Amino acid sequence: MKQFLEIKSVTAGYDGHVAISNISIKLELGKFHVIMGPNGGGKTTLIRAIAGLISYDGKIIVENVDIKKYRKKNSIGYLAQRGAQFYDFPLSALEVVEMGRYRFKETNHAKKEKSFEFLKEVRMASHAGVPIANLSGGQQQRVLIARALATESKLMLMDEPLTGMDPRTQSEFYEMLEHLKREHSLTVIISSHDVGFTTAYAENVFCINKCLVPHSEAVKLLEEPEITKLYGPNICLTKHYHTSSEEEDESEGEDA
Amino acid sequence: MLEFLKLPFMQRTLIGGELVAIIAGMVSPILVFRKMSFMSVGISHGTFAGIALGIFLGISPLWSSMAFAVGLGIWIGFTSKTGKISEDATIGTLFSFSMAFGIVLISLSKGYHPDVMGYLFGDLLAISPSDVYFASVILLITVLWYLFRGKAIVYATFDEDFSKIVGIHVDFDYYIFMAIMALITVAVVRFVGVVLASSIMIAPAASAKMLSKKFSRIVMIAIFFGMISIFFGIAFSFSLNIPSGPSVVFTVTTIFLISLIIKWIRGKRGSNNVKMV
Repeated sequence: MKQFLEIKSVTAGYDGHVAISNISIKLELGKFHVIMGPNGGGKTTLIRAIAGLISYDGKIIVENVDIKKYRKKNSIGYLAQRGAQFYDFPLSALEVVEMGRYRFKETNHAKKEKSFEFLKEVRMASHAGVPIANLSGGQQQRVLIARALATESKLMLMDEPLTGMDPRTQSEFYEMLEHLKREHSLTVIISSHDVGFTTAYAENVFCINKCLVPHSEAVKLLEEPEITKLYGPNICLTKHYHTSSEEEDESEGEDA
Repeated sequence: MLEFLKLPFMQRTLIGGELVAIIAGMVSPILVFRKMSFMSVGISHGTFAGIALGIFLGISPLWSSMAFAVGLGIWIGFTSKTGKISEDATIGTLFSFSMAFGIVLISLSKGYHPDVMGYLFGDLLAISPSDVYFASVILLITVLWYLFRGKAIVYATFDEDFSKIVGIHVDFDYYIFMAIMALITVAVVRFVGVVLASSIMIAPAASAKMLSKKFSRIVMIAIFFGMISIFFGIAFSFSLNIPSGPSVVFTVTTIFLISLIIKWIRGKRGSNNVKMV
Protein backbone atom coordinates (compact mmCIF):
# COMPACT_ATOMS: atom_id res chain seq x y z
CA MET A 1 0.00 0.00 0.00
CA LYS A 2 1.15 3.52 -0.83
CA GLN A 3 2.04 5.88 2.00
CA PHE A 4 -0.10 9.03 2.00
CA LEU A 5 0.78 10.98 5.13
CA GLU A 6 3.71 10.91 7.51
CA ILE A 7 3.84 12.57 10.92
CA LYS A 8 7.47 12.97 12.03
CA SER A 9 8.29 13.71 15.69
CA VAL A 10 5.39 16.12 16.15
CA THR A 11 5.05 17.93 19.48
CA ALA A 12 2.21 20.41 20.03
CA GLY A 13 0.13 22.01 22.75
CA TYR A 14 -1.60 25.11 24.02
CA ASP A 15 -0.35 27.96 26.25
CA GLY A 16 2.87 26.20 27.19
CA HIS A 17 1.09 22.92 27.98
CA VAL A 18 2.33 19.99 25.88
CA ALA A 19 -0.68 17.98 24.66
CA ILE A 20 1.19 15.58 22.34
CA SER A 21 4.86 14.78 22.46
CA ASN A 22 7.12 13.34 19.77
CA ILE A 23 4.43 11.56 17.77
CA SER A 24 5.56 9.71 14.64
CA ILE A 25 3.01 7.89 12.47
CA LYS A 26 2.86 6.70 8.85
CA LEU A 27 -0.59 6.54 7.26
CA GLU A 28 -1.47 4.57 4.16
CA LEU A 29 -3.48 5.93 1.27
CA GLY A 30 -7.20 5.13 1.07
CA LYS A 31 -7.57 3.66 4.53
CA PHE A 32 -9.79 4.35 7.50
CA HIS A 33 -7.42 5.37 10.30
CA VAL A 34 -8.62 5.94 13.85
CA ILE A 35 -6.78 7.94 16.49
CA MET A 36 -7.99 6.56 19.78
CA GLY A 37 -7.33 7.73 23.28
CA PRO A 38 -8.83 9.08 26.50
CA ASN A 39 -10.14 12.62 26.99
CA GLY A 40 -7.17 14.98 27.22
CA GLY A 41 -4.94 12.42 25.49
CA GLY A 42 -4.16 14.76 22.57
CA LYS A 43 -6.46 13.43 19.81
CA THR A 44 -7.91 16.85 18.98
CA THR A 45 -4.47 18.47 19.14
CA LEU A 46 -3.08 15.99 16.60
CA ILE A 47 -6.06 16.43 14.25
CA ARG A 48 -5.79 20.24 14.53
CA ALA A 49 -2.03 20.10 13.89
CA ILE A 50 -2.60 18.10 10.68
CA ALA A 51 -5.36 20.54 9.66
CA GLY A 52 -2.95 23.46 10.16
CA LEU A 53 -5.06 25.07 12.87
CA ILE A 54 -2.30 25.09 15.49
CA SER A 55 1.47 25.37 15.28
CA TYR A 56 3.69 22.40 16.10
CA ASP A 57 7.30 21.24 16.21
CA GLY A 58 8.26 18.43 13.85
CA LYS A 59 7.15 17.66 10.32
CA ILE A 60 3.95 16.52 8.64
CA ILE A 61 4.41 15.27 5.08
CA VAL A 62 1.52 14.61 2.71
CA GLU A 63 2.14 13.03 -0.70
CA ASN A 64 5.87 13.79 -0.24
CA VAL A 65 5.23 17.52 0.30
CA ASP A 66 5.40 19.39 3.61
CA ILE A 67 1.78 19.91 4.64
CA LYS A 68 2.37 23.65 5.23
CA LYS A 69 3.27 23.98 1.53
CA TYR A 70 0.50 21.56 0.50
CA ARG A 71 -2.15 23.62 2.32
CA LYS A 72 -1.26 26.80 0.38
CA LYS A 73 -2.80 25.29 -2.75
CA ASN A 74 -5.09 22.59 -1.36
CA SER A 75 -7.84 22.48 1.22
CA ILE A 76 -8.24 19.58 3.61
CA GLY A 77 -11.57 17.93 4.38
CA TYR A 78 -12.20 18.74 8.03
CA LEU A 79 -15.01 18.03 10.45
CA ALA A 80 -14.64 19.64 13.86
CA GLN A 81 -15.78 18.15 17.14
CA ARG A 82 -19.59 18.14 17.34
CA GLY A 83 -20.92 21.31 18.90
CA ALA A 84 -17.81 23.33 18.05
CA GLN A 85 -19.52 25.10 15.13
CA PHE A 86 -21.56 28.25 15.31
CA TYR A 87 -24.89 26.71 14.22
CA ASP A 88 -26.89 29.79 15.24
CA PHE A 89 -25.65 31.55 12.08
CA PRO A 90 -28.38 31.65 9.40
CA LEU A 91 -26.79 29.76 6.49
CA SER A 92 -28.72 27.13 4.52
CA ALA A 93 -27.33 23.61 4.08
CA LEU A 94 -26.39 24.47 0.47
CA GLU A 95 -24.59 27.68 1.54
CA VAL A 96 -22.63 25.72 4.14
CA VAL A 97 -21.47 23.23 1.49
CA GLU A 98 -20.50 26.13 -0.78
CA MET A 99 -17.85 27.07 1.80
CA GLY A 100 -15.91 24.03 0.63
CA ARG A 101 -15.76 25.52 -2.91
CA TYR A 102 -14.25 28.85 -1.70
CA ARG A 103 -10.85 28.19 -3.24
CA PHE A 104 -12.18 27.11 -6.63
CA LYS A 105 -12.15 29.66 -9.40
CA GLU A 106 -15.64 29.03 -10.80
CA THR A 107 -18.86 30.97 -11.19
CA ASN A 108 -21.34 31.20 -8.33
CA HIS A 109 -23.73 29.09 -10.38
CA ALA A 110 -21.12 26.35 -10.80
CA LYS A 111 -20.36 26.51 -7.06
CA LYS A 112 -24.03 26.01 -6.26
CA GLU A 113 -24.43 23.14 -8.74
CA LYS A 114 -21.35 21.30 -7.47
CA SER A 115 -22.38 21.86 -3.86
CA PHE A 116 -25.82 20.47 -4.60
CA GLU A 117 -24.21 17.33 -6.07
CA PHE A 118 -22.28 16.80 -2.81
CA LEU A 119 -25.48 17.28 -0.82
CA LYS A 120 -27.06 14.55 -2.99
CA GLU A 121 -24.21 12.22 -2.12
CA VAL A 122 -24.95 12.51 1.58
CA ARG A 123 -28.70 12.23 0.94
CA MET A 124 -29.42 15.81 2.03
CA ALA A 125 -30.45 17.35 -1.32
CA SER A 126 -34.05 17.73 -0.15
CA HIS A 127 -32.79 19.91 2.73
CA ALA A 128 -30.63 22.22 0.57
CA GLY A 129 -32.56 25.37 1.45
CA VAL A 130 -33.08 24.57 5.13
CA PRO A 131 -31.11 26.66 7.65
CA ILE A 132 -28.45 24.46 9.24
CA ALA A 133 -29.74 25.41 12.69
CA ASN A 134 -33.06 23.71 11.88
CA LEU A 135 -31.46 20.33 11.07
CA SER A 136 -30.96 17.48 13.53
CA GLY A 137 -27.47 16.65 14.82
CA GLY A 138 -27.09 13.73 12.39
CA GLN A 139 -28.28 15.83 9.43
CA GLN A 140 -25.89 18.65 10.35
CA GLN A 141 -23.00 16.18 10.36
CA ARG A 142 -23.99 14.91 6.90
CA VAL A 143 -24.05 18.50 5.57
CA LEU A 144 -20.59 19.07 7.07
CA ILE A 145 -19.33 15.89 5.39
CA ALA A 146 -20.69 17.25 2.09
CA ARG A 147 -18.78 20.47 2.80
CA ALA A 148 -15.58 18.52 3.44
CA LEU A 149 -16.14 16.55 0.20
CA ALA A 150 -16.69 19.83 -1.67
CA THR A 151 -13.04 20.73 -1.05
CA GLU A 152 -12.16 17.73 -3.29
CA SER A 153 -9.45 16.82 -0.81
CA LYS A 154 -8.29 13.22 -0.64
CA LEU A 155 -7.67 13.65 3.08
CA MET A 156 -10.63 13.74 5.45
CA LEU A 157 -10.00 14.68 9.10
CA MET A 158 -12.76 14.14 11.63
CA ASP A 159 -12.54 15.08 15.28
CA GLU A 160 -14.96 12.98 17.35
CA PRO A 161 -17.80 13.68 14.94
CA LEU A 162 -20.37 11.51 16.64
CA THR A 163 -20.18 12.55 20.28
CA GLY A 164 -23.63 12.39 21.84
CA MET A 165 -25.33 10.61 18.94
CA ASP A 166 -27.46 7.50 19.26
CA PRO A 167 -26.03 4.12 18.08
CA ARG A 168 -28.24 3.92 14.96
CA THR A 169 -27.12 7.39 13.76
CA GLN A 170 -23.51 6.45 14.48
CA SER A 171 -23.87 3.22 12.53
CA GLU A 172 -25.46 5.03 9.54
CA PHE A 173 -22.72 7.65 9.68
CA TYR A 174 -19.94 5.07 9.48
CA GLU A 175 -21.72 3.13 6.69
CA MET A 176 -21.98 6.34 4.66
CA LEU A 177 -18.38 7.26 5.39
CA GLU A 178 -17.21 3.82 4.26
CA HIS A 179 -19.12 4.28 0.98
CA LEU A 180 -17.75 7.80 0.40
CA LYS A 181 -14.22 6.64 1.18
CA ARG A 182 -14.45 4.06 -1.62
CA GLU A 183 -16.17 6.42 -4.08
CA HIS A 184 -13.72 9.31 -3.63
CA SER A 185 -10.56 7.31 -2.74
CA LEU A 186 -10.38 9.15 0.56
CA THR A 187 -7.87 8.68 3.34
CA VAL A 188 -9.92 9.14 6.50
CA ILE A 189 -8.44 10.03 9.88
CA ILE A 190 -11.00 10.06 12.65
CA SER A 191 -10.47 10.63 16.35
CA SER A 192 -12.60 8.63 18.74
CA HIS A 193 -12.69 7.09 22.16
CA ASP A 194 -15.43 4.67 21.16
CA VAL A 195 -13.79 1.25 21.18
CA GLY A 196 -16.85 -0.56 19.79
CA PHE A 197 -17.31 1.39 16.57
CA THR A 198 -13.58 1.61 16.09
CA THR A 199 -13.24 -2.19 16.00
CA ALA A 200 -16.15 -2.44 13.56
CA TYR A 201 -14.95 0.05 10.95
CA ALA A 202 -11.29 1.03 11.44
CA GLU A 203 -8.56 -0.48 9.27
CA ASN A 204 -5.82 1.00 11.37
CA VAL A 205 -5.76 2.28 14.95
CA PHE A 206 -3.30 4.65 16.60
CA CYS A 207 -3.64 4.92 20.33
CA ILE A 208 -2.35 8.15 21.84
CA ASN A 209 -2.18 9.39 25.36
CA LYS A 210 0.13 12.41 25.00
CA CYS A 211 2.55 10.14 23.12
CA LEU A 212 1.93 7.23 20.78
CA VAL A 213 1.03 4.10 22.77
CA PRO A 214 0.49 1.07 20.46
CA HIS A 215 -0.65 1.07 16.86
CA SER A 216 -1.80 -1.75 14.64
CA GLU A 217 -4.82 -3.06 12.77
CA ALA A 218 -7.90 -2.54 14.93
CA VAL A 219 -8.79 -6.22 15.39
CA LYS A 220 -5.25 -7.15 16.42
CA LEU A 221 -4.68 -4.18 18.66
CA LEU A 222 -7.76 -3.84 20.77
CA GLU A 223 -7.00 -6.45 23.38
CA GLU A 224 -7.18 -5.90 27.10
CA PRO A 225 -3.49 -5.07 27.82
CA GLU A 226 -3.45 -2.27 25.21
CA ILE A 227 -6.80 -0.87 26.32
CA THR A 228 -5.60 -0.88 29.93
CA LYS A 229 -2.41 0.88 28.85
CA LEU A 230 -4.52 3.54 27.18
CA TYR A 231 -7.45 4.10 29.52
CA GLY A 232 -6.02 2.91 32.86
CA PRO A 233 -6.40 -0.24 34.99
CA ASN A 234 -10.03 0.28 36.05
CA ILE A 235 -11.46 -0.34 32.61
CA CYS A 236 -13.96 -3.19 32.21
CA LEU A 237 -14.21 -4.66 28.69
CA THR A 238 -17.48 -6.17 27.44
CA LYS A 239 -17.38 -7.73 23.97
CA HIS A 240 -20.32 -7.13 21.68
CA TYR A 241 -20.74 -7.49 17.94
CA HIS A 242 -22.01 -4.98 15.41
CA THR A 243 -24.29 -5.99 12.58
CA SER A 244 -25.69 -4.08 9.62
CA SER A 245 -28.79 -1.98 10.35
CA GLU A 246 -31.13 -4.46 8.54
CA GLU A 247 -29.93 -7.33 10.68
CA GLU A 248 -29.97 -5.24 13.83
CA ASP A 249 -33.66 -5.73 14.62
CA GLU A 250 -33.50 -9.49 14.13
CA SER A 251 -30.41 -9.98 16.25
CA GLU A 252 -31.46 -7.82 19.22
CA GLY A 253 -30.48 -9.42 22.50
CA GLU A 254 -27.69 -11.44 20.96
CA ASP A 255 -24.98 -9.05 22.17
CA ALA A 256 -22.73 -10.66 24.70
CA MET B 1 -45.39 65.78 10.30
CA LEU B 2 -43.54 65.78 6.98
CA GLU B 3 -43.02 69.55 6.93
CA PHE B 4 -39.39 69.07 7.92
CA LEU B 5 -38.71 67.68 4.42
CA LYS B 6 -39.14 71.20 3.00
CA LEU B 7 -36.19 72.55 5.00
CA PRO B 8 -32.83 72.22 3.19
CA PHE B 9 -30.81 71.47 6.35
CA MET B 10 -33.29 68.76 7.33
CA GLN B 11 -33.07 67.25 3.85
CA ARG B 12 -29.29 67.12 4.28
CA THR B 13 -29.65 65.57 7.71
CA LEU B 14 -32.10 63.00 6.42
CA ILE B 15 -29.87 62.00 3.50
CA GLY B 16 -26.83 61.67 5.81
CA GLY B 17 -28.87 59.77 8.39
CA GLU B 18 -30.21 57.31 5.82
CA LEU B 19 -26.67 56.72 4.50
CA VAL B 20 -25.55 55.93 8.05
CA ALA B 21 -28.54 53.57 8.51
CA ILE B 22 -27.59 51.69 5.32
CA ILE B 23 -23.94 51.29 6.41
CA ALA B 24 -24.86 50.22 9.95
CA GLY B 25 -27.45 47.78 8.60
CA MET B 26 -24.84 46.12 6.38
CA VAL B 27 -22.38 45.54 9.20
CA SER B 28 -24.53 45.15 12.30
CA PRO B 29 -25.76 41.58 11.56
CA ILE B 30 -22.14 40.40 11.61
CA LEU B 31 -21.62 42.21 14.93
CA VAL B 32 -24.70 40.58 16.41
CA PHE B 33 -23.88 37.06 15.20
CA ARG B 34 -20.28 37.37 16.39
CA LYS B 35 -21.63 38.48 19.77
CA MET B 36 -19.58 41.69 19.46
CA SER B 37 -22.33 44.15 20.41
CA PHE B 38 -20.49 45.34 23.52
CA MET B 39 -17.45 46.00 21.33
CA SER B 40 -19.40 48.61 19.36
CA VAL B 41 -20.38 50.26 22.66
CA GLY B 42 -16.68 50.42 23.58
CA ILE B 43 -15.65 51.90 20.25
CA SER B 44 -18.45 54.50 20.18
CA HIS B 45 -17.50 55.72 23.66
CA GLY B 46 -13.84 55.65 22.62
CA THR B 47 -14.54 58.11 19.82
CA PHE B 48 -15.40 60.71 22.47
CA ALA B 49 -11.75 60.79 23.56
CA GLY B 50 -10.79 61.24 19.90
CA ILE B 51 -13.27 64.10 19.49
CA ALA B 52 -11.96 65.77 22.67
CA LEU B 53 -8.38 65.34 21.46
CA GLY B 54 -9.31 67.14 18.25
CA ILE B 55 -10.90 70.02 20.21
CA PHE B 56 -7.88 70.18 22.54
CA LEU B 57 -5.35 70.23 19.69
CA GLY B 58 -7.45 72.57 17.57
CA ILE B 59 -7.75 70.08 14.68
CA SER B 60 -10.88 68.60 13.09
CA PRO B 61 -12.57 66.28 15.62
CA LEU B 62 -13.59 64.10 12.68
CA TRP B 63 -9.98 63.16 11.87
CA SER B 64 -8.91 62.71 15.46
CA SER B 65 -11.99 60.60 16.30
CA MET B 66 -11.38 58.48 13.19
CA ALA B 67 -7.77 57.80 14.16
CA PHE B 68 -8.75 57.10 17.77
CA ALA B 69 -11.67 54.81 16.87
CA VAL B 70 -9.70 52.75 14.32
CA GLY B 71 -6.79 52.38 16.76
CA LEU B 72 -9.15 51.40 19.55
CA GLY B 73 -11.07 48.97 17.32
CA ILE B 74 -7.93 47.17 16.23
CA TRP B 75 -6.60 47.08 19.78
CA ILE B 76 -9.85 45.67 21.20
CA GLY B 77 -9.85 43.17 18.35
CA PHE B 78 -6.27 42.16 19.12
CA THR B 79 -7.06 41.70 22.81
CA SER B 80 -10.12 39.64 21.94
CA LYS B 81 -8.21 37.48 19.41
CA THR B 82 -5.19 36.76 21.53
CA GLY B 83 -7.32 36.21 24.63
CA LYS B 84 -4.67 37.50 27.01
CA ILE B 85 -7.21 39.66 28.84
CA SER B 86 -10.95 39.04 28.72
CA GLU B 87 -12.69 41.13 26.07
CA ASP B 88 -15.45 42.55 28.29
CA ALA B 89 -12.95 43.57 30.97
CA THR B 90 -10.84 45.40 28.34
CA ILE B 91 -13.84 47.20 26.84
CA GLY B 92 -15.31 48.03 30.26
CA THR B 93 -12.03 49.59 31.36
CA LEU B 94 -11.32 51.36 28.07
CA PHE B 95 -14.67 52.99 27.52
CA SER B 96 -14.81 54.61 30.94
CA PHE B 97 -11.17 55.70 30.45
CA SER B 98 -12.05 57.20 27.04
CA MET B 99 -14.93 59.19 28.51
CA ALA B 100 -12.79 60.39 31.43
CA PHE B 101 -9.91 61.27 29.10
CA GLY B 102 -12.31 63.17 26.84
CA ILE B 103 -13.79 65.19 29.71
CA VAL B 104 -10.31 66.05 31.03
CA LEU B 105 -9.14 67.22 27.59
CA ILE B 106 -12.27 69.34 27.08
CA SER B 107 -11.85 70.90 30.55
CA LEU B 108 -8.26 71.77 29.67
CA SER B 109 -9.23 73.24 26.29
CA LYS B 110 -9.55 76.99 26.06
CA GLY B 111 -12.88 78.59 25.15
CA TYR B 112 -16.49 77.45 25.12
CA HIS B 113 -17.43 74.20 23.41
CA PRO B 114 -21.14 74.14 22.74
CA ASP B 115 -20.99 71.03 20.51
CA VAL B 116 -19.89 68.63 23.26
CA MET B 117 -23.50 67.70 24.12
CA GLY B 118 -24.09 67.23 20.41
CA TYR B 119 -21.26 64.72 20.25
CA LEU B 120 -22.61 62.92 23.30
CA PHE B 121 -26.30 62.72 22.33
CA GLY B 122 -26.40 63.76 18.68
CA ASP B 123 -27.46 67.09 17.19
CA LEU B 124 -29.11 67.10 13.80
CA LEU B 125 -28.79 70.89 13.53
CA ALA B 126 -25.01 70.47 13.66
CA ILE B 127 -24.86 68.12 10.65
CA SER B 128 -22.76 69.77 7.98
CA PRO B 129 -22.31 68.87 4.30
CA SER B 130 -18.89 67.42 5.20
CA ASP B 131 -20.62 64.93 7.56
CA VAL B 132 -22.79 63.77 4.65
CA TYR B 133 -19.72 63.46 2.38
CA PHE B 134 -17.96 61.49 5.12
CA ALA B 135 -20.96 59.13 5.42
CA SER B 136 -20.93 58.71 1.59
CA VAL B 137 -17.22 57.79 1.61
CA ILE B 138 -17.77 55.27 4.43
CA LEU B 139 -20.71 53.79 2.50
CA LEU B 140 -18.49 53.39 -0.56
CA ILE B 141 -15.74 51.72 1.51
CA THR B 142 -18.28 49.40 3.15
CA VAL B 143 -19.86 48.41 -0.19
CA LEU B 144 -16.41 47.65 -1.68
CA TRP B 145 -15.44 45.65 1.39
CA TYR B 146 -18.71 43.74 1.15
CA LEU B 147 -18.14 42.95 -2.52
CA PHE B 148 -14.57 41.71 -2.07
CA ARG B 149 -14.50 40.26 1.45
CA GLY B 150 -18.20 39.89 2.39
CA LYS B 151 -18.35 36.14 1.75
CA ALA B 152 -15.09 35.56 3.62
CA ILE B 153 -16.28 37.41 6.74
CA VAL B 154 -19.63 35.59 6.65
CA TYR B 155 -17.86 32.23 6.39
CA ALA B 156 -15.44 33.14 9.19
CA THR B 157 -18.38 34.17 11.37
CA PHE B 158 -20.03 30.79 10.80
CA ASP B 159 -16.93 28.59 11.19
CA GLU B 160 -13.52 30.16 11.71
CA ASP B 161 -11.54 26.91 11.61
CA PHE B 162 -12.97 25.68 8.33
CA SER B 163 -12.55 29.15 6.84
CA LYS B 164 -8.82 28.96 7.61
CA ILE B 165 -8.68 25.52 6.01
CA VAL B 166 -10.19 26.73 2.73
CA GLY B 167 -7.62 29.54 2.56
CA ILE B 168 -9.43 32.55 4.04
CA HIS B 169 -7.06 34.93 5.87
CA VAL B 170 -9.35 35.01 8.88
CA ASP B 171 -7.21 37.25 11.13
CA PHE B 172 -6.51 39.81 8.40
CA ASP B 173 -10.23 39.99 7.53
CA TYR B 174 -11.09 40.37 11.20
CA TYR B 175 -8.84 43.42 11.66
CA ILE B 176 -10.15 44.98 8.45
CA PHE B 177 -13.68 44.41 9.77
CA MET B 178 -12.76 46.05 13.10
CA ALA B 179 -11.30 49.09 11.29
CA ILE B 180 -14.39 49.45 9.08
CA MET B 181 -16.66 49.05 12.09
CA ALA B 182 -14.74 51.83 13.85
CA LEU B 183 -15.13 54.16 10.84
CA ILE B 184 -18.85 53.40 10.68
CA THR B 185 -19.15 54.16 14.40
CA VAL B 186 -17.55 57.60 13.83
CA ALA B 187 -20.15 58.32 11.14
CA VAL B 188 -23.01 57.11 13.36
CA VAL B 189 -21.76 59.19 16.33
CA ARG B 190 -22.19 62.42 14.32
CA PHE B 191 -25.91 61.68 13.98
CA VAL B 192 -27.01 60.11 17.24
CA GLY B 193 -24.05 60.81 19.52
CA VAL B 194 -21.47 58.78 21.41
CA VAL B 195 -23.84 57.51 24.08
CA LEU B 196 -26.63 56.43 21.73
CA ALA B 197 -24.61 55.20 18.71
CA SER B 198 -24.66 51.55 19.72
CA SER B 199 -28.45 51.45 19.37
CA ILE B 200 -28.21 52.13 15.60
CA MET B 201 -25.29 49.70 15.38
CA ILE B 202 -27.07 46.83 17.15
CA ALA B 203 -30.88 47.14 17.47
CA PRO B 204 -31.82 46.96 13.73
CA ALA B 205 -29.85 43.72 13.28
CA ALA B 206 -31.04 42.27 16.59
CA SER B 207 -34.63 42.96 15.45
CA ALA B 208 -34.03 41.51 11.97
CA LYS B 209 -32.46 38.37 13.46
CA MET B 210 -35.74 37.66 15.21
CA LEU B 211 -37.70 37.83 11.95
CA SER B 212 -35.63 35.83 9.47
CA LYS B 213 -33.31 32.85 9.25
CA LYS B 214 -31.59 33.87 6.03
CA PHE B 215 -28.49 36.05 6.34
CA SER B 216 -29.01 38.15 3.18
CA ARG B 217 -32.61 38.81 4.27
CA ILE B 218 -31.47 39.79 7.77
CA VAL B 219 -29.11 42.37 6.24
CA MET B 220 -31.91 43.82 4.09
CA ILE B 221 -34.34 43.98 7.04
CA ALA B 222 -31.65 45.57 9.27
CA ILE B 223 -31.03 48.26 6.63
CA PHE B 224 -34.80 48.86 6.30
CA PHE B 225 -35.31 49.10 10.07
CA GLY B 226 -32.37 51.49 10.39
CA MET B 227 -33.71 53.70 7.61
CA ILE B 228 -37.25 53.95 8.98
CA SER B 229 -35.84 54.58 12.48
CA ILE B 230 -33.83 57.51 11.18
CA PHE B 231 -36.78 58.87 9.18
CA PHE B 232 -39.34 58.69 11.97
CA GLY B 233 -36.75 59.65 14.58
CA ILE B 234 -36.04 62.89 12.71
CA ALA B 235 -39.74 63.47 12.02
CA PHE B 236 -40.69 63.07 15.71
CA SER B 237 -37.72 65.16 16.79
CA PHE B 238 -38.88 67.99 14.51
CA SER B 239 -42.60 67.84 15.23
CA LEU B 240 -42.32 67.26 19.00
CA ASN B 241 -39.28 69.53 19.43
CA ILE B 242 -37.23 66.88 21.23
CA PRO B 243 -33.52 66.00 20.74
CA SER B 244 -32.91 63.91 17.64
CA GLY B 245 -30.62 61.21 19.12
CA PRO B 246 -33.08 60.00 21.76
CA SER B 247 -35.93 60.28 19.23
CA VAL B 248 -34.12 57.91 16.84
CA VAL B 249 -33.31 55.54 19.72
CA PHE B 250 -36.97 55.48 20.83
CA THR B 251 -38.03 54.54 17.29
CA VAL B 252 -35.41 51.82 16.88
CA THR B 253 -36.26 50.38 20.31
CA THR B 254 -39.98 50.34 19.43
CA ILE B 255 -39.13 48.32 16.30
CA PHE B 256 -37.06 45.96 18.48
CA LEU B 257 -40.00 45.44 20.86
CA ILE B 258 -42.44 44.85 17.98
CA SER B 259 -40.02 42.26 16.50
CA LEU B 260 -39.79 40.59 19.90
CA ILE B 261 -43.61 40.36 20.08
CA ILE B 262 -43.79 38.96 16.50
CA LYS B 263 -41.18 36.34 17.39
CA TRP B 264 -43.07 35.43 20.55
CA ILE B 265 -46.39 35.09 18.62
CA ARG B 266 -44.68 32.93 15.97
CA GLY B 267 -43.17 30.73 18.69
CA LYS B 268 -46.55 30.40 20.37
CA ARG B 269 -48.21 29.41 17.06
CA GLY B 270 -45.45 26.89 16.40
CA SER B 271 -45.84 25.23 19.79
CA ASN B 272 -49.67 25.16 19.36
CA ASN B 273 -49.24 23.37 16.01
CA VAL B 274 -46.96 20.80 17.67
CA LYS B 275 -49.61 20.18 20.35
CA MET B 276 -52.33 19.70 17.69
CA VAL B 277 -50.18 17.10 15.88
